[in-house]
Amino acid sequence: MKLAYAKKPLREIFGETLVELGALHPQLLVLDADLNTSSRTVLFKQKYPARFIQTGIAEANLFGLAAGLAAQGYVTFPSTFAAFAARKALDQVYVNIAYPKLDVKIAGSYCGMTATECGPSHNCAEDLAVMRSLPHVKVCDPGDNRELRAMMHTIMATPGPIYFRVSKVNAPELFADGHEFAFGRGHLLREGSDVALIGTGFMTAVALGAAELLDREGISAAVAHMPSIKPIDEELIGKLARQTGALVTIENHRIYGGLGGAVAEVTARDYPVHVDAMGLGDTVFEAAPLQDLLRHYELTPRALAARARALTQRKRRASAA
Amino acid sequence: MKHLSPGQQRVIADKAFGVRRLCLELITAAGWGHIGGSFSEVELLACLYSGILRIDPKKPDDPRRDRFILSKAHASPALYATLALSGFIPVERLFTYCRLDGLDGHTQRGQCPGIEYSGGSLGTGLSYAAGIALGLRLADNFASRVYCLIGDGECNEGQIWEAAMSAAQYRLDNLITIVDYNKVMAKGKMSDLMAIDPLRDKFAAFGWTVIEIDGHDLAEICLAFHRAKYLEMNGRPIAVIAHTVKGRGLPEAEFNYQWHTHAPSPVQAKAFLADLNRTYGRNEKFSRQLVAPQDGGLEAVVTADLK
Repeated sequence: MKLAYAKKPLREIFGETLVELGALHPQLLVLDADLNTSSRTVLFKQKYPARFIQTGIAEANLFGLAAGLAAQGYVTFPSTFAAFAARKALDQVYVNIAYPKLDVKIAGSYCGMTATECGPSHNCAEDLAVMRSLPHVKVCDPGDNRELRAMMHTIMATPGPIYFRVSKVNAPELFADGHEFAFGRGHLLREGSDVALIGTGFMTAVALGAAELLDREGISAAVAHMPSIKPIDEELIGKLARQTGALVTIENHRIYGGLGGAVAEVTARDYPVHVDAMGLGDTVFEAAPLQDLLRHYELTPRALAARARALTQRKRRASAA
Repeated sequence: MKHLSPGQQRVIADKAFGVRRLCLELITAAGWGHIGGSFSEVELLACLYSGILRIDPKKPDDPRRDRFILSKAHASPALYATLALSGFIPVERLFTYCRLDGLDGHTQRGQCPGIEYSGGSLGTGLSYAAGIALGLRLADNFASRVYCLIGDGECNEGQIWEAAMSAAQYRLDNLITIVDYNKVMAKGKMSDLMAIDPLRDKFAAFGWTVIEIDGHDLAEICLAFHRAKYLEMNGRPIAVIAHTVKGRGLPEAEFNYQWHTHAPSPVQAKAFLADLNRTYGRNEKFSRQLVAPQDGGLEAVVTADLK
C-alpha cells in the first residue's frame, strides 16, 4: 500500500478548521501567545479579529485568561507550542482548567519532535503523558488532515477540557472524506495475526510501512491507529492482544506515559501479552531536521519492523517454554 | 576601557561585522534560525566579549570568571559566532548548528565552552542569572559579575518580574541585565501585541538602577557597561536598556517581524552580505559555498525504507 502525503501540513488544517468552527459557534474564542503565524491561528485572527486575543509571550497568563473566559460561557482555544502548554503552564492548566472542567480546548502545536531545529526547549515529548495524567482532560493526536478536522468538530461538541496535538508535518492520507473521530475509538487499518503495530498521530504511517516490510518476510502484522489516547479504545486493544499476543506501539513522544503507557495499562490489567513501546527514551529530541530526527531516534519502518520481529520471537520462545 | 580609543573601536567593529557575516552563513547553511534578534544584539555581544566580561577562553570554567546568560536563547547564532571570534570555539563548529550532535537552535548549557545556560523557554534566564549572582555572594565571590541579556518580548513573561523583584530584595548589585529593546516580537510590533513601556519606570519601580543607551553605539555601550561594573555597587541590580533595531544592518529585515525566524536562501544570503558590506563600508566574502539543506520529512523516511 503506497501512502499519499498531504500537500498542506496539519497546522494549516488546524487554522482552517478554527475558521470553520468560528462561523458555526459565536462563543468560540482563540487566544495566542505570539505564535499565530506558526500555529496558523492567524487564519482565525484575519477572519474574526474581535474574537482573537493576543496575550504576548506569557503562557501562564494565556491559560489563566482562557480559563476565566470559559467561566463566562465562552469556548476557548488557547494556542501555543506543546512544550509551553504541557511544561510551562501546567499549574494553570491543572488548577484553573482541568480541575473545574472548563470548556478550554488546548491545541499543542509543534508537538513531539516537530519543533525540529528549535531543539529540546521547544520539542516536547512529554505532552501526552502530562495531559493524560490530569483529571477530566481528554487527549488526542490526529493521524491525518481529515482526522484533525473531524477531531476539532468533535472537540467543539464535547464539553470539558481537551488537549489535542498539531504539527507542521505533511501527514500521510490515512482516511477518506467522511472519516469520523470519536473519543475512545481506534481504527484497525490492517489485519494481521503475528503481531499488532499500534500508532498514534502521523506515526501510524511508520507502522503501516513496517507492516509492509514484515509482510515481505512472512510476518503478519496488524496495524491500528489510536487518535484518542484518553480515553483509549480498550476493546480494540483487547481484540489485538487476543489475536496476536504481541503489541508494539509507536509515537512521536516519550515511551513513558503516552500511547505506550496507555496501551500497557490496559494489557497489564486485562490481557497480559507481550508489549513493546517505541518513541523517545530517557533523553531529549535534539535540534535537527525531521528526517534526521526520525532516523536518529530509530522511528522508521525498518526499526519498527525489527522490534516487532524481535517481539514475535520472544512470544514464540515464551510459549515454547 | 572607560572611553574607547579609535583603535579599540575598530577592533570591536570588526568583531561585530564578522559576527553578522557568520550568522548569515550558519543560518543559511542550517536553513533555520533567528536573524532579527541576532542582529539586534551584535554590538552588545561584541562589546561584552571585547574586554567587559572577565573571561578567558583558555579557562572557560574559571570560578572567578564573569558569567554571561543569553536569556533570549533563540538569538544563539550571534552568541555562537561571538564565541568563535573570541577564541572559545573553532569557527568550523558553527557549521554544526541545528545538526545532530551539533550546536542547538537554542543554547544548551555545557554544549560548548562559554555557554552557561539552557534556554529557549523565554522568561527563565533572569531568574537563573539571579540565582548565579546570589550563589556568588553566598560563596563570598565578590570578583565575578553576572550579565544577563534578555529580549524585550520576553518581558511579557511574569517570571521576568518575579526575578526582578527578587534581585532587588537580595541586593544583587553584581547582576547586570541588558534588555535588547528592538521593539519587535515574533509575530508583530510590541506596541500592537503586548506593550511593555515605560520600561525604564518599571525596572526603577522594582528597585533597579536603570541606564538607557543606543544598543548599536559601541562607545555608549562600553561606557554603560563600565559604569555598571565600577560605579554602581550600591545594592541595586542594574538594568541596561539598549535601544536596538531588529535585523540591524539588513534593510529588508530591519523592524520586520517576518525575519524573526527565517533563513535566507543561498542566493538571498549573498544579497544580504552585499547589503551588510554597503551598510558598514566593507568588502567581505563568505568563508564557504553555502548550500540550503533539504528535509524530506516523514515521507522521505517512510518511502526510503520501503524501496
